[in-house]
Amino acid sequence: MSAPWSVHVFGVRHLSPGGAWHLRRYLDRIQPDLIMVEGIVDGIELTEHWVKKGTKPPIAILSYTSELPMRTFVTPMARYSPEYQAVLWGHQHRTPVEFIDLPSEVFLGLQDEEMKRLEKLREQMAQAASEAEEDKETEVEAESPTIPRRSIYEQVAEIAGEGDYDSFWERNFEHNTNDESYRLAAMELGRSLRELEDESTPRHAECLIREAFMRRCIQAAIDRGVSPSKIVVIVGAFHAPVMSGEHPIMSDAELAKLPRRAGKLTLMPYSYFRLSSQSGYGAGNLAPAYFELMWNALESDNLDALPGEYLSRLARRVRDDGTHRSTAEVIEAVRLARTLAALHDGSAPTLRELHDAAMTLLGHGELAPIAQHLAHLDVGTAIGELPKGVSRTSIQEDFDRELSRLKLEKYRDTVKHDIDLDLRENRQAKTESAAFLDLNRSTFFHRLRILGVPFATPARRNQTAATWGENWTLQWSPESEISLVEAVLAGETVELATAFRFRQAIEKCESVNEAAKLIYDACCCSLPTMMDFARQRLQTLSTESSATAAVAAAAHELMQVVRFGDVRKFDTTPLLPLIQDMFVQGCLTLFDAANCDNDAAKPLMVAMDELNRVAFEFHELVDESLWRSRLQALSDNDDRNPLLSGLACAILLERGWMSNEQLGREVSRRLSPGIAADLGAGWFEGMAGRNRYALIGRQILWEQLAEYVANLDEDQFRRAVVFLRRAFGSFTPQEKRSIAENLAHVWGVDSDSAQAVLDGPLSEKEEQALSDLNEFDFGDL
Amino acid sequence: MAKKKAGDDTEVTTSSSNTTNILRAPAEELFAEEIEALIASDKHEKPASWRMSPRAVLTYICGGKAGNKEITPKYIGAPRLVEIAISTLVTDRALLLIGEPGTAKSWLSEHLAAAIHGDSTKVVQGTAGTTEEQIRYTWNYAMLIANGPSDGALIRSPVFRAMESGSIARFEEITRCASEVQDAMISLLSEKRLSIPELSKEVPAAKGFSVIATANTRDRGVNDMSAALKRRFNIVVLPSPATLEMEMDIVRRRVRDLSSSLDIKAALPTDEAIEKVVTIFRELRTGQTLDGKSKVKSPSGVLSTAEAISVLAGSMALAANFGTGSVSAEDLASSIQGAVVKDEDKDKTIFQEYVTNVLKKRGAEWRPLFNACSELLA
Repeated sequence: MSAPWSVHVFGVRHLSPGGAWHLRRYLDRIQPDLIMVEGIVDGIELTEHWVKKGTKPPIAILSYTSELPMRTFVTPMARYSPEYQAVLWGHQHRTPVEFIDLPSEVFLGLQDEEMKRLEKLREQMAQAASEAEEDKETEVEAESPTIPRRSIYEQVAEIAGEGDYDSFWERNFEHNTNDESYRLAAMELGRSLRELEDESTPRHAECLIREAFMRRCIQAAIDRGVSPSKIVVIVGAFHAPVMSGEHPIMSDAELAKLPRRAGKLTLMPYSYFRLSSQSGYGAGNLAPAYFELMWNALESDNLDALPGEYLSRLARRVRDDGTHRSTAEVIEAVRLARTLAALHDGSAPTLRELHDAAMTLLGHGELAPIAQHLAHLDVGTAIGELPKGVSRTSIQEDFDRELSRLKLEKYRDTVKHDIDLDLRENRQAKTESAAFLDLNRSTFFHRLRILGVPFATPARRNQTAATWGENWTLQWSPESEISLVEAVLAGETVELATAFRFRQAIEKCESVNEAAKLIYDACCCSLPTMMDFARQRLQTLSTESSATAAVAAAAHELMQVVRFGDVRKFDTTPLLPLIQDMFVQGCLTLFDAANCDNDAAKPLMVAMDELNRVAFEFHELVDESLWRSRLQALSDNDDRNPLLSGLACAILLERGWMSNEQLGREVSRRLSPGIAADLGAGWFEGMAGRNRYALIGRQILWEQLAEYVANLDEDQFRRAVVFLRRAFGSFTPQEKRSIAENLAHVWGVDSDSAQAVLDGPLSEKEEQALSDLNEFDFGDL
Repeated sequence: MAKKKAGDDTEVTTSSSNTTNILRAPAEELFAEEIEALIASDKHEKPASWRMSPRAVLTYICGGKAGNKEITPKYIGAPRLVEIAISTLVTDRALLLIGEPGTAKSWLSEHLAAAIHGDSTKVVQGTAGTTEEQIRYTWNYAMLIANGPSDGALIRSPVFRAMESGSIARFEEITRCASEVQDAMISLLSEKRLSIPELSKEVPAAKGFSVIATANTRDRGVNDMSAALKRRFNIVVLPSPATLEMEMDIVRRRVRDLSSSLDIKAALPTDEAIEKVVTIFRELRTGQTLDGKSKVKSPSGVLSTAEAISVLAGSMALAANFGTGSVSAEDLASSIQGAVVKDEDKDKTIFQEYVTNVLKKRGAEWRPLFNACSELLA
């Protein structure tokens, strides 16, 4: 082989406006015959769309495996990404551009290996955790690969005397507009990073593999006859120093040995928000919108104006928010930022110094009032766009098809729309699809909801009882597009992806009420097979657990499904036996469960209400007599939670299963002076929690209550007053008035004077008596 | 200028030749050596009328090296805040330091003035009784009546003198002054000129003039600063020390300084004692234990770092005069209780709860302190 080749290497940071700007000037100067960019080698086909008119960065190349377990790999690009500008430059100057990083298949394969490795590590740690002694050692080992990787950048920043790597980078790379400064500095940085790098990490190994492959691509180009002096290679600063013929080149055999996973590639629109939250990638992207401002400033050759523009924009936002900030303060903030930069030998303020100045001047010393505006200004809301039809994933196509089928295209808008759906058949419609348009829309929306695509969100509905109406809020956002694209990992179409998510959820599901909820969702999404799955799961779970509250909730949920099922054209007959099962289970366990304290009684009260509704709604289907007998038992028994006993009594009363006479007997027994006041009053509270009008009307109840209170001795009375006060606390004034009238009747006074006594202000003595009650010692209660 | 001469006549001499007898000498005298060393080794550009470059000021405040001389850190905390403060003064803006009591506002303001102009003594000490004359100027009435308004009869305020000499005036506790008095600063700061209508003239501020004001956040409600005045200040909020280690560091240094200047004849408290005091203060201040596992109630007092320092200095004094000469658990306990329990009833129960719920469970190291505290509370 002849002397090792050397090509023009331009080291960059992946999202660096300064890098993109210098790169364009560099390319102008070199006028290369071939541009080679660090990017997945098979992704080059997609770049033809980058230069199309309708393309608006940020965009990303997404590679994903089509089989389980899913692995994905995203390469985002902003307008100011050097790679993106390189492709643009190549297009404008008719110069070929090649990507030279490993193929996506290998990346997915490597990721697969890495995931497996981490999994194994986790398993080891779990094992080690059981053996307490070894625990510490393994932990140290397990953490070590991540720590040095983070800190090499911090080390470099520290050596340079900057607080953090981003400020270091911005000050030394982005602000310097002298020719060659960027390229040479990046090369130097790459060298020092390589010196600091811990060579034992898996990441380092991966880097070596990638670099060998990149050199292989460069070698191939030279072998094709391209002159090395006419090649410009654009790679991350870390790789820049080793892009020469002196280093080993990956052989065919080595390439064949790399792990691979079959995958697909697509372009997807990206958002600045995602860019900023993807901390793992390339860094320098904490403030994508700020860097775009910088890119614009560089393009218009006016980098000096950046601090002014940034702070003015901030001041405008703060003003729009209703806080006045004067132009003088903005001017002072710019001056302060520049002085801060000068303290660090900088030529211009970095973002951090702009933040400091903004905090001092526009936030009046505090970050909180401007933090939100800063975040907005730094991250921005920009979302990428791709021309229609460009590298769509199958699920996006399916989504578009569905939109046009359901006549929803006009809602594909960034403005919020409310839409009311009437799920019933439209009898005036001529075709079947038109007749059930709203129902199909609802199904579609529910599927999106399950997929986590925020296009359609359910809106609150006033008339909750109506089974045929739904309200939705529709708003298109690029976030929706992104989550849609990501959903392709779960399935090729919206329906398939939803089904996949269901299957996952069903497998994970651990309680009967969760399973019942899934059945409900499956019904809304019109996925009968998934409903069947969930049903089986519910059955399995119900044999394992029989917590009354969960079972009752499940029965209630299923009842809803059956009620809605009709309007949704959904066959719910397989659910009916389940409801019966759940109901019986709920009834049978209630009595035992009712032996509990007041805290545990709360969910049981809900459960009783739900069971009662099921019994009422499906009285033909379920064994109502069982419900009645269990309620009776609960109501009659004195050793259960008094709240629940009271509630059982109230339900019996409501359903007309208890006569006035029985009620009278029950009340007098429950409220007899021998029974502890808290038990009696607790029972009354449970009783009064429900259907008050029925209670108010029953004179016998009040007679018994009056008699009970009259018979209490002083100490018992004090106790009882506290509990009775609580029981009556939730009554409305109107209800209290009716009760006062009832009691007046019992006592033989006329109702007006009774009311007057009740409404009149408390005397000092009474006030005192009440506050004494607060200090009443309840012993072990 | 004629005025200049008169100014010299009325210059109040603050520095005394007999510094050893002074309870507390100003910073520029205490740290004269460090300042000299910094000036000598300063290679960076100095703003007009500054004695050293901004970077040297930063080294003076945050510590570092000047040539061979070690510079002690004066402010322990985020250097960024100090950078902002210094840069503010470079841009001839006025600086307002805000913070909870005991977050070293006045301390920082004094050292900034000492480093930049070698003079931290042009101070307006704000109170509810401060009048506008104390900010601008007033008259020697005997001379005023005898000769009419003249330069000789003029008594210059610290702010006035700072304007003439192009140095920094300090305004302590600005929010304690009545709002209309605070407002005297508004046109002074924006126009950087002071008009004396009686003499029909206007005094321009010399280059380098600036104001450092301090205010307590706890006082904000008392005499809130007007928006107009706030706009004329760059505001820096000084936080309570962020970590236990940082706070311990502050306490250790200050206790050492205090004990030598107050001449307390007791051994310096051990790191362990400092850690305990700071831990107790931090936990009661933030309302939860350091590990964040349990909540505690906060007493009515601020429990600032400054108070922690005085607790330790106080226990040293106790130990020196009535004790064994080294700080014991009993000495600490009585000082801590004095600092924590301000409002007798409520604070006492809070402290008692803290002692029994938290200190008791802390193991053997804390046992003596716990015993001493519970003995006092009993």
